[in-house]
Amino acid sequence: MLHRDVLVRLCQARDFLREADEGARPVHHVARDIGMSTYHFIRLFKAVFGETPKQCQLRARLDRAKVLLLTTESSVTDICMEIGFSSLGSFSSVFSRRVGLSPSAYRAATRPKAQVAGEIPRQLVPGCLSLMSGSPG
Amino acid sequence: MRIKLNSIFVDNQDKARKFYTEVLGFKVSKDIPVGEFKWLTVVSPEGPDDLELVLEPNANPAAKAFQESILEQGIPITAFEVDDIQAEYRRLKDLGVVFTMNPTQTGPVTVAVFSDTCGNLIQLYQG
Repeated sequence: MLHRDVLVRLCQARDFLREADEGARPVHHVARDIGMSTYHFIRLFKAVFGETPKQCQLRARLDRAKVLLLTTESSVTDICMEIGFSSLGSFSSVFSRRVGLSPSAYRAATRPKAQVAGEIPRQLVPGCLSLMSGSPG
Repeated sequence: MRIKLNSIFVDNQDKARKFYTEVLGFKVSKDIPVGEFKWLTVVSPEGPDDLELVLEPNANPAAKAFQESILEQGIPITAFEVDDIQAEYRRLKDLGVVFTMNPTQTGPVTVAVFSDTCGNLIQLYQG
């Protein structure tokens, strides 16, 4: 049985993994920070969250890339650096494989024509109401 | 007026589809693309077959904050009824499901709590 304090530590680890700026934090550092062996951490994290720490980290970085592509004027290269990828080639290929569109194609296809400052694009904000009241796209 | 839908937030709909069907044993009822996300619902083969559980993306920042905070506090987001909680507990454990509470008698019901791998704790109860 997973004790409450272990669950809390795993939640903290998930927060650490999602801190995407300045490059990805190595998984063994995160394990150490919450006081677990790397092996035990990876096994437990996957059982509780359904994905490995690495997969969680990658998903968070790609989600952040999507937001930046939709809400900023930054170039794809700058966004790639900002979310901690060191090569544009690997960012583009990982993004394309996971999202189904290249970063620039994703931006062109989903970016609203007019952007209200400080507002999160509707594409990224589903909810009961937006789904039930019609397509948010 | 009838209750036909209930919804829970999930951190990833693909993961949710897999866990709620392959592990819990529910059946997909609707899987309709809506922009970036899907209108994804499941029903229980044990019935009632017209009561759907919506597996809703938590991409709304408010939803994410709510979901994460409830999880950290160890509070289940919803509860499913089972006929034999000990058997269900063993079946799920064998499939690698992590429990935060083993079957425990609380008054007239026995309850157990597990992680749904999508950012939620779910309670099972046998009345």
